[in-house]
Amino acid sequence: MKEELKKLVESAAVDAKRIKNENDYLNIKSKYLGKKSKLSDLMKNLKDMTTEEKKEYGPIFNKIKKDLESLFTKYYDDVLNKEEKITFDPTIPIKEKKGSLHPITIIAKEVTDVLKNIGFMVLEGPEMESEYYNFTALNVAENHPARDMQDTYWLDNGLLLRTHTSPVQVRAMEKYGVPIKMCVPGRVYRNEDLDASHENTFFQVEGMVIDKNISISNVIYVMKGMLKEVFNQDIEVRLRPGFFPFVEPGFELDCSCTICGGKGCQTCKNTGWIELCPCGMIHPEVLNMSGINPEEYSGFAFGLGLTRLAMMKYKIKDIRVLNSGNLKFLEQFNVR
Amino acid sequence: MKISCNVLKKHLKNSEKINFIDIWDKFTIRSAEVEEVIIKGNNFDNVVVAKIIECKKHPESNKLSILKVSDGKEDYQIVCGAPNVKVGFIGALVKVGGRIDNMVITKRKLAGIESWGMMCSAKELGIGDDHEGILQLPSDTPIGLPVKEVLPIEDIIVEIDNKSLTNRPDLWGHYGIAREIAAITGHELLPLEILEPDEVGNKLNIAIKNPELCYRYTSIKLDNIINNKSPLWMQIFLYYTGMKSINLIVDITNYVMLELGQPMHAFDSRVVHNIEVGLAKGGDKYLTLDGIERTLSNKDLMIKNKGQYFGIAGVMGGLDSEILEDTTSIILESASFEASSIRKTAISLGLRTEASSRFEKSLDPNLTMLAAKRYYKLLKDENPDLVLGSDLTDIYLKDFKEKEIVLKKSLLTKYFDFEMQDEDVKSILESLEFKVKVNKNDYKVTVPTFRANKDVTIPADIIEEIGRIYGYEYFVPKAIKMDLSFYKDEPSYDEAYNLKNYLATKYNLNEVHSYLWNKTSFLNDLNIKKDNIKLVGKSEDNILRDDLNLSMLEFAKTNIKTSENFGIFEIGTIIKDGDNHRMLSILLNCEKDKLKFTFNKAKEIAKNIFREIKNMDLIFEFGKSHEYYNQDLTLNLIVNNKIIGQIKPFTRSIANKISKKDSFVILEINFEEFINLKLEKPDYQEVSKYPTTELDYTIITKRGQYYNKLEEILEKFTSPIIIKRELLDIYLEETNKKVTIRYTVGSYEKTLTNDELQNFKEEFIKFLHQNELDIIEE
Repeated sequence: MKEELKKLVESAAVDAKRIKNENDYLNIKSKYLGKKSKLSDLMKNLKDMTTEEKKEYGPIFNKIKKDLESLFTKYYDDVLNKEEKITFDPTIPIKEKKGSLHPITIIAKEVTDVLKNIGFMVLEGPEMESEYYNFTALNVAENHPARDMQDTYWLDNGLLLRTHTSPVQVRAMEKYGVPIKMCVPGRVYRNEDLDASHENTFFQVEGMVIDKNISISNVIYVMKGMLKEVFNQDIEVRLRPGFFPFVEPGFELDCSCTICGGKGCQTCKNTGWIELCPCGMIHPEVLNMSGINPEEYSGFAFGLGLTRLAMMKYKIKDIRVLNSGNLKFLEQFNVR
Repeated sequence: MKISCNVLKKHLKNSEKINFIDIWDKFTIRSAEVEEVIIKGNNFDNVVVAKIIECKKHPESNKLSILKVSDGKEDYQIVCGAPNVKVGFIGALVKVGGRIDNMVITKRKLAGIESWGMMCSAKELGIGDDHEGILQLPSDTPIGLPVKEVLPIEDIIVEIDNKSLTNRPDLWGHYGIAREIAAITGHELLPLEILEPDEVGNKLNIAIKNPELCYRYTSIKLDNIINNKSPLWMQIFLYYTGMKSINLIVDITNYVMLELGQPMHAFDSRVVHNIEVGLAKGGDKYLTLDGIERTLSNKDLMIKNKGQYFGIAGVMGGLDSEILEDTTSIILESASFEASSIRKTAISLGLRTEASSRFEKSLDPNLTMLAAKRYYKLLKDENPDLVLGSDLTDIYLKDFKEKEIVLKKSLLTKYFDFEMQDEDVKSILESLEFKVKVNKNDYKVTVPTFRANKDVTIPADIIEEIGRIYGYEYFVPKAIKMDLSFYKDEPSYDEAYNLKNYLATKYNLNEVHSYLWNKTSFLNDLNIKKDNIKLVGKSEDNILRDDLNLSMLEFAKTNIKTSENFGIFEIGTIIKDGDNHRMLSILLNCEKDKLKFTFNKAKEIAKNIFREIKNMDLIFEFGKSHEYYNQDLTLNLIVNNKIIGQIKPFTRSIANKISKKDSFVILEINFEEFINLKLEKPDYQEVSKYPTTELDYTIITKRGQYYNKLEEILEKFTSPIIIKRELLDIYLEETNKKVTIRYTVGSYEKTLTNDELQNFKEEFIKFLHQNELDIIEE
């Protein structure tokens, strides 16, 4: 009997190694542990045995049964846990997504995000605009050259295409009153002939802050901080006197050249500075016209050229490519 | 505008202490932008004043002469090709070892004769364009001296950006620039040397017919002008500053203009006797100094008399009163005209001159008298025997005075964010020739007339003067003290960005930017006629678009040869019904046999935009659009029972104009209405604890029948146990269309029994039969 059991265990050990799949596993289980198995047959002898023998063989049978079960499970587990054979090439390049945002959209988002961080609202305004909002309410004199047809797209219904995002200053003052902190990214139009650096359709972001104690020092702080974030590097700024009818004092803001870092190069015409953005303290007359008392409130405004900023940041040489719709150009701008 | 530092130096005390190369960086941030600083006179070395003492014809050449030239110490043999050589001529000699530009002068043979140097032309010295003959120096020039010592050849010429001077009429001349430098450096501005003409007892006859356009007319008649040749120093100055030397009478008008900013004009008094300033008769022709005949309008201000025109006021004189070589008597004009009238005339005649560009900045009328006296002084310097032909006659109808402005100290402190000392404010303003009275709480500032005309009119202007001369670089950046009240932001920018980002990342679409007008040639090619608001003054590309999709189609054309299966989009403005509207337009391109797939893609994008961004259900219905879209495939997008957009392919004939192989499907959404849709909160329903059952039925309809007809019918079949109905599959046969529908049924109270399911099926089949539809029994 013992001899037979020993053989049985040995043969089971050999068979167990042959388990390759679920079928093998079930078959071998049935062969050695099933109702019709040899072990089952041998166990039937138990009932004819003496009490002594029963005491001896009972645990043996149980042990063999358990051992075989765990042996088969072990081999089957090995089969299950075995890594699948690699039937594909893991080095094949994937098909890349080519969706893109326009570079202006990306840079506008960067600028407005920075301004939002210091509490600016982001507003928008109409592109077909009235003379009142575009010029008159901004203190642009009746005979100012900017109103000429040479510079402005006038329309045959008496309106015009806005020449800057500044009309939204007036609209915002009317709608929200003061205090206010807001910016306006948007498309603007100038009657220009196209060449590599001139477009008739381009983008600006307007900024405006009005409160009781706004100072020139605030202008410098905001502009410097904003440019630092957008260019991801420390940027020096300087103010020069500049004349714009809707600000007084008015400034031209230059930033240190991002190409040469201020040492002087072709881009900055060897000056180390790049003219970036007209700005200034809002002209009292502009506040007056929108019903804000300039004795009580002061504010600053700026008009940053987004198109120019995008060209600087991405080193785009020809402005015309921006409105060309050329996918070979646009596809390169991933989504942030 | 070009500025000569040599002339600036004449107006500044102790000017040698100013570094005229370095000062311009500071000038840029204090006053106006300097574009370029050019060093003059360093293009040659070793050029001395020399006298021709012998002059012989060259034996071998007709053109060449053999000169003996003396520099006072030695004589040199020079072979020279200039035609104007003669004995006694004093000129500029570059000796052997000297240099002109990159050429070092050596001893060499010309047609066999040795030459020990070269006599120089004005062009070779860089002080003129004349290369015909050699430069002739005045007969009293001491020989032997370096030529740079006797002529102001060494100079620093500074180019100032005209645009940064538009609001500074006072800076359109050297004297004004010198005043700024005085303020910046703390130097003293020297008074201008002038000469008061004596009274001779006869005034000129001057009539101003349009006092609103001519504020002042100052004039004098000057006779016995014997010398009409400009001194070399003046010629060099004019050349360096970009003007052409004509003759002394004309050159001094230009010199004074460049010095003071006041344009002047000299009429030959053989032609002009009396002056009348008035408007032209529209349509009249007039020949200006440049020899071009111009047609005048009745808005052009003229200098005239008795129906004869003498000049276009503030723009250009006439040819018939031109100063000639033999002119000995002139009527000098020093006048002040209304700025915008001059500008309009200059633009309408296409004639922008040095004079008009100054007048259009609003010059100080008080300059005219100063300029006239300055002119008289300079002309008298060159013509000691000058005779006064009239009194200095001045018609000044509206006296222009200094302006008083009160600047509150509190306002200055508010703008600066720091307190200025009274004495600093006073010294800055006084350096700019403002007068200041310091009071306890304010400054009473008197603005000089040369600043008060247009530039400095309000307290903020005074703040600018103080700020810029103090130096903005000394301002410390300070954070805004924030007001942290809640504010309501406008959603449109964020909505637009999020939508663009969604389209680019989820559907791989590319954002484009297009123009607000349609390209005329493109519309013509497509045979599409558009009428809308137009740009004034343009005949092409002038109609504002009322359909953004056509701009996308234009770009489809741009890319069709280089890209395939592309999808582009823009959120842009269209002009419709006289107003601005913002639209989202998406164009999907595909090969034409993939239209079904692409059309469905457009539907999927549309549906998902509303589902994922607004959590709203979008319904499609057939709609109508422009004739250039496929009318049978035009779907309205409907949200809350309102049309919010459309899906529509361009017609085959339009698509063929772009590509015969491709189709172009548009998905457009009215972006303004899209923004106004509020985000719906998710319509959450508790999940039933009991199992649901899926029941699939295949319904037979006619092949040509659209699915939406079936859906309309199925909508009417209701049962409390329906949880969801969806389309599983459509199978086309020869005449039939088999549509497989899946109902998910269940209950919140219990597990449905077989009887209930059987009952549902029977009810459904009965319903279908009532609607003349059949089902395939499984």
